[in-house]
Amino acid sequence: MKSILDQNFYELLEVQPDAPTDEIERAYQIAHSTYDTGSLALYSVFEEGDAVVLRERLDTAYRVLSDSASRREYDAAIAAECAEVDLEANGNNGGSVGPLEIELELPLEIEFEAEAEPQIIASSSVELGEFDDFEDDPEDTVYDGDRLRRARLRRELELEHIASITKITPTYLSFLEEDRFDDLPAPVYVRGFVTAYARCVGLDPALVARSYMERFESTAPPKRSRKKNLFARS
Amino acid sequence: MKTGSKKKGARTGTERAAPRLIALGGGKGGIGKTFLAANLSVALSRLGLEVVAVDADLEGSNLHTCLGVEPPPMSLADFVADREVDVGKLAAATSIPNLRLIAATHANLWSPQPSDEQRVALVGHLRKLPADIVLIDLGAGTHPAVMDYYLSADEGVVVFAPEPTSVENGYSFMRAAFYRGMHRWMSDEPLRDLIAQAMDQHNERGIRTPLDLLRAARALDPAGGRRLEKLVHRLRPRIILNEARSATDIKMGFAIKSVCLKYFGIEADYLGYVNHDDVVRKSVLARKPLVLSHPKSDAAIYVGRIARKLAAGSFRSKAVRPKARSNAPAPTHRKL
Repeated sequence: MKSILDQNFYELLEVQPDAPTDEIERAYQIAHSTYDTGSLALYSVFEEGDAVVLRERLDTAYRVLSDSASRREYDAAIAAECAEVDLEANGNNGGSVGPLEIELELPLEIEFEAEAEPQIIASSSVELGEFDDFEDDPEDTVYDGDRLRRARLRRELELEHIASITKITPTYLSFLEEDRFDDLPAPVYVRGFVTAYARCVGLDPALVARSYMERFESTAPPKRSRKKNLFARS
Repeated sequence: MKTGSKKKGARTGTERAAPRLIALGGGKGGIGKTFLAANLSVALSRLGLEVVAVDADLEGSNLHTCLGVEPPPMSLADFVADREVDVGKLAAATSIPNLRLIAATHANLWSPQPSDEQRVALVGHLRKLPADIVLIDLGAGTHPAVMDYYLSADEGVVVFAPEPTSVENGYSFMRAAFYRGMHRWMSDEPLRDLIAQAMDQHNERGIRTPLDLLRAARALDPAGGRRLEKLVHRLRPRIILNEARSATDIKMGFAIKSVCLKYFGIEADYLGYVNHDDVVRKSVLARKPLVLSHPKSDAAIYVGRIARKLAAGSFRSKAVRPKARSNAPAPTHRKL
């Protein structure tokens, strides 16, 4: 049995690794209400500190798994990790789902907004229906940071507002807008960030992610330095 | 009754598989444990299963009242007082076909609870009862006797109501079951010591949660820690959410299941919910099981649903078992 910090995103959301998108959606809805502040089911078991960590992990898990591209990337990362563990530990850990040894390259000094009200960021949610009217950009539009910012300003949205919806820190959001690829985390997370950002500002997430990631990956250093792992086990 | 003929000869012992022991608890009083135990017993018996309902609540016995039967002349109190050593003889027939009751009335007020040895003997006797299901209605709280019955049973049902008091006591109940179960099933002495220390909630080792315990166990003895993790799987609480009034309440069963996994590291099943219904009070006032007095009410239908889920295990084992009894009554609603 693994502690919350060792569980991979599928284990966190309590779904099978091959779960379809709608099941992940449903699992997140349940997890979201279960671990929400003031949830009755948490009463007397989880301490608030543990619950905050858990909520952040669940949100990250959902952000990555709800987008098919970032999910594929994550799956590949898990598979690679499993193979590595198998080689190292002589099959001792050889389960179907590997432990989360994927480096979460979130620098320690940048923290999630703990007070921000977590919101469901799926395009299917009713609350965000207003964000779903996508701009009619041509297919081959290049979505760089500048374009993202313009879309945001057109909607008169503050970065903090997007941060509170997506639960991505404003610092990362501004890195996105400034194309500061070196300061951004691994591609798998950036894809999740871009997708969530695009949804908020009314752009087509798939188009934006494809275009943004193309530029991100072509300019990012091939072997990114491994930063301190926020969720490292002691 | 049929019991008489069944008891004759050693024949029954070879033909009959041991009954499934299902214990129903939940920590808090007044959340409907006894109501559910009574109605599930009736519903299970109406599915064609031989059921013995056991009132293990010697300090607050009223399973007989919920079942609407007169207090039987003999009860578990006679077993505790050593007046009757054969628990099988305490199982009194009820007016409901296939259902017998071991009551807990007229308990000794000075010392109602059985001794450790008597508890072990009691469970042994229950396992030998000629029945398909023995349903044990546990008292409130986490008294060692309550936890012993719960841990001895093949399946444990934990009842929750959607209110903080019940949630808190329900988790206390699960916590007690977790630590007591691990202590009971673990054979390695150093790890047993560790578990005993962890039961003190302000222990010096800083073990706060079941997961902390498993981590500490692994650090102490990796192989023993792995054995301990396997033992955790023996706990598989089945959750019933009683007195549901809204969709949010109903969803709480899933939330509790998730907390079981993330906090205790144990898989739980959400067996189902029973809605809050005024007819429940009416049935209790009329001292008649709801599933008989108001069979068409929503609450009775939900109870029936849970009973069918519980029964599924028995029907599976019945199918592989050689013909149990030729005079078994034809099952009425085997909708599975």
